[in-house]
Amino acid sequence: MAEVPTLGYARAINQALAEEMRREGRVWMLGQDVGRMGGVFGVTRGLYEEFGAGRVRDTTLNETFIVGAAVGAAMTGTIPVAELQFADFMMIAGDEVFHKMAKWRYMHGAQLSVPMVLRLPTGVLGGVGAEHSQSLEVLGMHFPGLKVALPSTPADAKGLLKTAIRDPNPVLFFEHKGMYRTKGPVPEDPEFLVPFGEAAVRRQGAHLTVVATGLMVPRALEAAERLAAEGVELEVIDPRTLVPLDMETIVASIEKTGRALVVHEAVRTAGPGAEIAARIQEAAFFVLDAPVWRLGALDTSIPQSPDLEQLVIPSGAEIEAAARALVAL
Amino acid sequence: MNELDLYREVTRIRALELLLHRYIEEHGFGGFWHPGLGQEGLQAGAVSALREDDYLFYAHRGLGYALAKGMSPVTLLADLFGKAGGSVGGKGGGTVHFVDPERGVLGQGGTVGSSFVLGAGAGISAQMLGEDRVVAIFFGDGAAARGTFHEAALTASVWKLPLVWICENNGWAISVPISEQSPTEDIADRAAAYGVPGVVVDGQDTLAVRAATEEAVARARAGEGPTLIEAKTLRVRGHFEGDKQGYREDLVDGLEVPRDPLALLREGGAAPAAEADRLDAEARDEAEAVLAEVLAMPGPEPDVITEGVWA
Repeated sequence: MAEVPTLGYARAINQALAEEMRREGRVWMLGQDVGRMGGVFGVTRGLYEEFGAGRVRDTTLNETFIVGAAVGAAMTGTIPVAELQFADFMMIAGDEVFHKMAKWRYMHGAQLSVPMVLRLPTGVLGGVGAEHSQSLEVLGMHFPGLKVALPSTPADAKGLLKTAIRDPNPVLFFEHKGMYRTKGPVPEDPEFLVPFGEAAVRRQGAHLTVVATGLMVPRALEAAERLAAEGVELEVIDPRTLVPLDMETIVASIEKTGRALVVHEAVRTAGPGAEIAARIQEAAFFVLDAPVWRLGALDTSIPQSPDLEQLVIPSGAEIEAAARALVAL
Repeated sequence: MNELDLYREVTRIRALELLLHRYIEEHGFGGFWHPGLGQEGLQAGAVSALREDDYLFYAHRGLGYALAKGMSPVTLLADLFGKAGGSVGGKGGGTVHFVDPERGVLGQGGTVGSSFVLGAGAGISAQMLGEDRVVAIFFGDGAAARGTFHEAALTASVWKLPLVWICENNGWAISVPISEQSPTEDIADRAAAYGVPGVVVDGQDTLAVRAATEEAVARARAGEGPTLIEAKTLRVRGHFEGDKQGYREDLVDGLEVPRDPLALLREGGAAPAAEADRLDAEARDEAEAVLAEVLAMPGPEPDVITEGVWA
């Protein structure tokens, strides 16, 4: 078998975009600085040169246009991949994201569909402050009609994005901007796809199920590594998509471990973990040996100081401590 | 479409307007009906300048836009009354939604002014796919205030998207008169900021609206970009049927349409009196029959509620 090349998370996204644009002439992109500059994070570098200004469209600072035009284009025969520079900017285009993208098909009797992807650089980066650091993926779960992907590895970033572009539904694609440089094996096969609604079991373990997303996946694995030395084995599950959510894999794991901890970078109150924990107790109450716990960001805004910022979101050490305490209950 | 056919479209829309007014007065209505009485000529005139495959984003004032685009009045009324037989099967929101992809009727949002950005997107598709389709986007003077207009107009003008913006300026954004909404008398003046033509036209003059729209459509189809047409019209009724309009001093609470587009078409010779009378009568008969048919239709079954969320 040929060796799978190692690639960065940002580069894997770039590869997915290039491959899908080569495969299908109706796929195109728009967003601020996605063209000549190649994106503020460099994710779309080279695509303007390959596909031209007609398919890689630089916009101005107009988020309602970026998202709304993508919705209008999606319902008329093309497949837009729109980028907002920061996931936080969804709030500027709230009507376009949560009403038009999510509901246009439904409120028009399923006569139209909206095959589009909205790329959303998410999470803390190191000092970009309260309005550029949030993890808002739970909003996608709360508005029926939107799919939500949240890759934690370069291979998933590529495979999930390719699936998103081929999905006939609108997808919110949360790419962690703090993970853009994370490296990992990424298959080169242009038909490499990661299906939606299939969680990845990142590590097997018998004592506690940790459901983690995004940046929390490597942190949970780091905690699992340390606890393994104490004889505590964590099973780490990465849902990869929150809509659809693979509860089957999560519940099957809890049937084995009897305990669950949900970890995310989003604010703890009413974060995705609230929904996941509620579904766990509905589906697996009688196999649980302990309450389902949640770890998330503190209920504050994200402070600009990079040191303080890290204290707001769960660390590997905090996951380790919570896991140790939960296993001992 | 010849002038007599255009008269026919206007009087068909008028007949539905008057019948709905009467029905709602007698029976009430489980939603909001935003009457378009008096604006029928504008709607039919502008839409008559479009090709069947051109895209239409209509506004919330009346059924005229979609009727003129060729949708069946039965479908439109069925949507208005939330019947299973409507184009959206009882799932529209806010004011009435209807859709007809075959005729380019792409729907509307419940949030006023949201079509600017969506319409621009439809224009991008047409441009990218090498189609010479044009996108007509209707809106009121109130919606013209939305930031979405600015965001869309700016980029659409730079990209020369094939758009025609048709502002139905009826002088009132619900209760706020145009003098208190706009620093300039003409909304069309705003076109200058985007480097596109801004055209003021008499919205009661069906043929003038059609001529202005034809010019804008030709420009858009030729790849020269958007045009902003401002059709000056008036709001005969309240913002919605049932609006008491206590804020209005110019109020004539009736059904009489000042500078009636039908009368102007007759006077201009578009429709000889005998022909026009016949078309008016046909339109009234059609409206009565359509309403009776729609009222007898079943409502949607509960099992459709969860259908159509996903493609």
